[in-house]
Amino acid sequence: MNRRNFMKFLGFITGSTFLSSCGIDKGLRKIISYAIPPEKEIIPGEPLFFNTTCTECPALCGIQVKAYEKIFDTERGIYPVKLEGIPDHPINYGTLCIRGQASITRLYNPHRIKDPLIKERDGVFRSISWDQAFQTIISEIEKHKAEKRYNFFISSRTTGSLSLLIDEFCHEFNIKRLPEFEIYNYSAIRKANSFLFGKYSIPHYNIKDADFLLTMGADIFETFISPVSHAVQFSIARKNNNLKWFHVEPHLSLTGICSDKRFTINPGTEIYLLIYILTSIQKRKISSNIPASVGQLIPSLPLDILKEKTGLKEEEILLIRDAYLNSKRPLIITGGVSTRSGSGFEVAVLSGLINWASGSIGSLVDFSREENYLRVGTIEEFVNFLKTIDENNTGLLFLLKTDPVSIFPQHLGVKEKLIRARFKVSLSDSFNETTKICDLILPLSHSLESWGDANPRRGLVNLIQPATKTIFNTKSHGDIIIEIMKRKGKVVSEDFKSFVMSNYQKRYGKDSLNMFIEKGFHEENPSPVRVSFNEENAQLFLRKLKYPEAMKTPLLILSPSLRFFDGRSFDLELLKEIPDPLSTISYGSWISLSEETAKKLNISERDELEITKDQWSIRVPAKIQKGIGKDIFIVQIGGPINYSGMTDPRSGEILSYIEGINIRKTGKNVSIPILSGSMSQEGRGIIPYPIHRTENNKKHKESLYPEHKHENYRWAMTIDLDLCIGCSACVAACYIENNVPIVGINEHLKGREMSWIRVEPFYDEKDGIRFLLMLCQQCDYAPCEPVCPVYATYHNPEGINAQVYNRCVGTRYCSNNCPYKVRRFNWYPHEWEFPRDRMLNPEVSVRQAGVMEKCTFCIQRIRRAHDIAKDEGRSIRDGEVMPACAQTCPTRAITFGNILDKNSSVYKLSKSDRSYRIFEQLGTEPSIYYLGKRRGDE
Amino acid sequence: MNKAISKAIEFRYRIEKDVLAAMKKPHIQYWIFLFISVILFVTGMSLWYYQIKTGMGVSGKTHPVGWYMYITNFVFWVGIAHSGTLISAVLFLFRAGFRSSFNRSAEAMTVFAIMTAGLFPIIHLGRPWLFYWLLPYPNERLLWVNFKSPLIWDVFAVGTYFTVSLIFFYVGMIPDLAIARRYATGWKRRLYSFLSLGWQGTPDQWRHYNRLYMFLASFATPLVVSVHSVVSWDFAMSIIPGWHTTIFAPYFVAGAIFSGTAMVITLVVPMRKFFSLEKYITLDHFDSIAKILLLTSLIVSYSYIVEFSMAFYGGNIFEMEVFRYRAFGDFWIFFAIMIICNSIIPLFLFIRKLRRNIKFLFISSLFVNVGMWMERFVIIVTSLSRDFDPYAWGLPSFSTVAIGITLGSFGMFFMLFLIFVKVLPILSITELKEVHE
Amino acid sequence: MRRSLVLATISCYASIFSIIFLSIGYYNYYHDGPPIQPIAFSHRIHVAKVGLPCNFCHVYADKSKNAGIPHIQKCMDCHRAVAVEKPEIKKLTSYWEQRKPIEWIKIYKLPDHVYFSHKRHIKKGVECSQCHGEVQVMDRVRRVRTLKMGWCVRCHRVNDAPTDCLTCHK
Repeated sequence: MNRRNFMKFLGFITGSTFLSSCGIDKGLRKIISYAIPPEKEIIPGEPLFFNTTCTECPALCGIQVKAYEKIFDTERGIYPVKLEGIPDHPINYGTLCIRGQASITRLYNPHRIKDPLIKERDGVFRSISWDQAFQTIISEIEKHKAEKRYNFFISSRTTGSLSLLIDEFCHEFNIKRLPEFEIYNYSAIRKANSFLFGKYSIPHYNIKDADFLLTMGADIFETFISPVSHAVQFSIARKNNNLKWFHVEPHLSLTGICSDKRFTINPGTEIYLLIYILTSIQKRKISSNIPASVGQLIPSLPLDILKEKTGLKEEEILLIRDAYLNSKRPLIITGGVSTRSGSGFEVAVLSGLINWASGSIGSLVDFSREENYLRVGTIEEFVNFLKTIDENNTGLLFLLKTDPVSIFPQHLGVKEKLIRARFKVSLSDSFNETTKICDLILPLSHSLESWGDANPRRGLVNLIQPATKTIFNTKSHGDIIIEIMKRKGKVVSEDFKSFVMSNYQKRYGKDSLNMFIEKGFHEENPSPVRVSFNEENAQLFLRKLKYPEAMKTPLLILSPSLRFFDGRSFDLELLKEIPDPLSTISYGSWISLSEETAKKLNISERDELEITKDQWSIRVPAKIQKGIGKDIFIVQIGGPINYSGMTDPRSGEILSYIEGINIRKTGKNVSIPILSGSMSQEGRGIIPYPIHRTENNKKHKESLYPEHKHENYRWAMTIDLDLCIGCSACVAACYIENNVPIVGINEHLKGREMSWIRVEPFYDEKDGIRFLLMLCQQCDYAPCEPVCPVYATYHNPEGINAQVYNRCVGTRYCSNNCPYKVRRFNWYPHEWEFPRDRMLNPEVSVRQAGVMEKCTFCIQRIRRAHDIAKDEGRSIRDGEVMPACAQTCPTRAITFGNILDKNSSVYKLSKSDRSYRIFEQLGTEPSIYYLGKRRGDE
Repeated sequence: MNKAISKAIEFRYRIEKDVLAAMKKPHIQYWIFLFISVILFVTGMSLWYYQIKTGMGVSGKTHPVGWYMYITNFVFWVGIAHSGTLISAVLFLFRAGFRSSFNRSAEAMTVFAIMTAGLFPIIHLGRPWLFYWLLPYPNERLLWVNFKSPLIWDVFAVGTYFTVSLIFFYVGMIPDLAIARRYATGWKRRLYSFLSLGWQGTPDQWRHYNRLYMFLASFATPLVVSVHSVVSWDFAMSIIPGWHTTIFAPYFVAGAIFSGTAMVITLVVPMRKFFSLEKYITLDHFDSIAKILLLTSLIVSYSYIVEFSMAFYGGNIFEMEVFRYRAFGDFWIFFAIMIICNSIIPLFLFIRKLRRNIKFLFISSLFVNVGMWMERFVIIVTSLSRDFDPYAWGLPSFSTVAIGITLGSFGMFFMLFLIFVKVLPILSITELKEVHE
Repeated sequence: MRRSLVLATISCYASIFSIIFLSIGYYNYYHDGPPIQPIAFSHRIHVAKVGLPCNFCHVYADKSKNAGIPHIQKCMDCHRAVAVEKPEIKKLTSYWEQRKPIEWIKIYKLPDHVYFSHKRHIKKGVECSQCHGEVQVMDRVRRVRTLKMGWCVRCHRVNDAPTDCLTCHK
């Protein structure tokens, strides 16, 4: 080797070693410093709160948005992570329903429309700029104006400033604004009220003041008018005036199960029962406000006819009657399926008469707080409109947040009719059947990204304010309309925000404006409304009253869906992930039928059935369920299945009954994710009946392990099964709060759902259907703790079964050993891709694959409470900490607190004579106490 | 006199020759078997890799069935491992003559079985790359393991058992290795001379050797009981109906010996045939080992009965449901197989003719192996899928990965055994000499 | 003979080199070398020479989990007048004029599963320097602590702070 090679060698070695020693950068993250501080001070790591309005359904609850400032590589922004009710909001009193909780996932839904889209010749959509979009609209308007065509504007229910703006817009471009299209428009009730009391409106039902409630078909906890409000009032009434509540329905609904007593009535025969109640009120001369002239016309029904028509037993009928007569402040609410039948109008009128007779109108039925449905039309009106459309006379068609195409079945040809319009503009946030046929799609911002206001009912205004900047290239409906008008030279105001503000100031003055923005709503005491009883109409009605025929079986009942409302919430993955509380089916649709019906037609579970009636037909797997009448089939609408499109001319409602259907087994066997392993308690006294009395809270067994010392805090929870309505809001809240991943149908079919809290329905002892809320029981002697080899799970000083995710090696021993099976294992890694990663709660870590996870009583909230308490040098107050589930519970069935504190509400409730713990005989000493459910006859 | 001596010497050489003949150039069949088992092993390992990459979900476990085939395999292989110690150590202490024809292969089997078993607790971890967190070692996190957890007991039990049986196996082999050294050439010679630790067979070497061997034997014997008791406590210590019983320890130990003995037969019968060792492994030997099989089978069947009757008389609603489900539920077929293989077929061994019928013995031993695997499977799965909260009842899902890895473990075991028969003396030459004189 | 000698030298040389560089690499790996920040901000000058307290810029240290870093406006409050001609300050002003946020490189970063609150530690009277080192002598700040669990726990034990896992693990 010569000198040169030697040098080469040296050089080579030096270089290589040099290279090998660098390249040690470990993915450095950035901190972004603002150029200028934002006007609303943001303390990094601390949450921000905005008060706004939930627009997931027409109830318009007030919500408080919890947002965090987050940094994603180079962008620094504020992102909402959780929605909660505004504590003193007059509709929802700080609570929220399952759809409201899930509404935040609509904001981060990756399938949202991201840009304005225009349809090409070849029928594919191409994204364009907003400018182009507005230009095309303007030019289209001009064109059709020139060619003397009519333009139309259809929308779902709009209120407040938006509604006003639309009026101006339509007026400006002489567009014909159609009555708003809502499938749940309650027109039967409104018509009945105008017929009897001259008010074409939906009253506000003061359930909280009633001492007896009789609901007929009205699904007051699922979709009916304002479910959360009803749930809240129900619990208040239960606590204050010990509400007694009967429910009469032809099918099986969540509401029915939650009532004290549920009566299955023959479909469409509610009238008989109503008349009977009316007569019996009449007979008892005292305190009937119905004038004799009307009273004498009320037909009296002999009991036996009533029995054979309604299918109710005599004692049942008498029970209802007596309960009604003996109560001081009775209230009857009819709606839902009962008013969506051929005799819907009569049912509504009769219930109106009963309420009038018992003097509930004005007090319990409050017209001064009437729901704001002024612009909402009936299905009739919409159908008539469809008839009028055709190529020559119809130009522009605006569809705002409405999807009639998928709501009506195909054979009615709604699609074909709408297509006839020359140019269809859809304002929508996600793709649906209607957007497909449109020529121009304008992507709408989520209400969490936009300004606006809402006017849910008389005397109440809600604010809608943005909690984040728009995630995609979207605009709010208000801004879009204002922009269009600007393009035309008509400046209403520079943007929708200022429009909203000016409207507010016009009505309530300047000074309360900041208050309004701070609080998120403004309520005024509405001027009282005098309601007069229209005698002639009543007489007329009773004279011409004819009794309906019994419905032809087999009968299909289309019942509203708790999770998807009328189908508008169907594109939220989270709602599909959470099972329907009645059937515990998460994904897909199904048809429920009773065991005897199944036996008769020898249908077994998961068989696919084809249901046909004339041209209308659906294919769904069967689910056998207790508590359903003979030859009655129930399908939940929303999503793939929807109403048959048949309407009732008198009430103008859509019919939810399909008589004389024919059922055919297709022979296919569809696998549907039924999450419940058994619909029965197997006699294990999980929901004991009669209620556990104190004898069950017996002295605890001796343990080999030393007693846990809880010094200052021992967190505990009580769940009142008497108030729990199985609405699953808590489940949704838990998903959002704790970054629980959504795993999809295939995992669900294997039984690998991830929810930390679940609603378990148990169908037992003669249709006694009960809900049980099951979550980690945080046992004192938790079987999961001693078996963990690495102390990933252990008992923390405050009595929580802690789970340290990044210590867990995944033996799954703890889950095996948990008697309540509430631990969840991450079978696969979960992606949180854009924009879902924006939704993650920074207070909770994201679990990686192969790790066990579980409920921690929302430890992050407890930690925060500790933090605040320490700063103020005190201990945590009772009710200061609330886990997500307890916080959102509309009926306040869940109470959380420190059980060492003798004055805490948890301690008091845990000592109640109804309190018991599940599987007490195992000696696990759970710290969740259940309060047993009373029966209607208790 | 002189003749006698020369006869004896000649005889000794014949034994050595016959035994070491097995280590000659392998037969084609040998290669085929080896190839198959290697393939199985490799596929098993690659499936494990796949499982780590994609996630535990592929192994068919679900909620609530958190333990499935892997734990079944673990218990199964630990069980197999038992007979080794039993046959060599315990029978050695009892001076059972027939032992000497089985002990070597039994011990080898033990070692390999534990090696296989030891893999499964790691395979079934959600995050296997962190398995070392189960070992108590001073670490930077200042964390310690939880000695309350039966899984930690496992770590120790299995660890100890492996070490001891390995040493026992090796020590027992030293004199034979020395003999092998004499016959071997080239690298093999070097290997054996290294392994035989300079064994000369001098009287005091023998004296020390015997002492040590005796000591190890008596040391290993309690392990036969302890290891599998500890493994059984994985279940018995839990709260799950169907697991939480006091008879589990003896029940599992008996089962372990049962399956182990069966496996010995399964291995020795073909070995005897291929290497024509009929002279040394005689029918009497099989007869007596078959008796062990019969005995343990009876014990196991007894425990089955006890389990059910306890559930029945106990009247505990959870227990009763689990055992009803075990016998008549979704897994009734597994249960039936288990009963037939473990409790019915072995009964035929009461007949002397059948005990001495190699074919029958071989086949029934195969059945027993299957039956014992089923037993563990049934115990684990049925108990988990039907515990306290009816809402949470559920079934595991079918998984090719789990099955593949299970087969892979068999591949591993047989691979190791096949390699063993070629590189190490398969019978204890020295002991045979003693016995045959 | 000569050949082997040469080889020997080479190997020695190589080994020495590799030892040096690997050790540097190792050191850097465990204490991130000071990264190059967009603006060469010197803590030494601001703390030692100017004598600003930490919470003059890191205002949230006693208010929140995160200590926070100043927005450019704050920097400009002084640097409109002070040391304006310095090249680094010119950089700063250009950022300011474009209203462009500065992307500082994070030096002390904790994994997702750890909950750490500056507030709690400051309120307990823990000195900034206990974890962040003597920044007043660093022109370019680098990480001086491993931020590994053992390090936290030891300190917690010494000052009998809570050692319950959930105090820090979320």
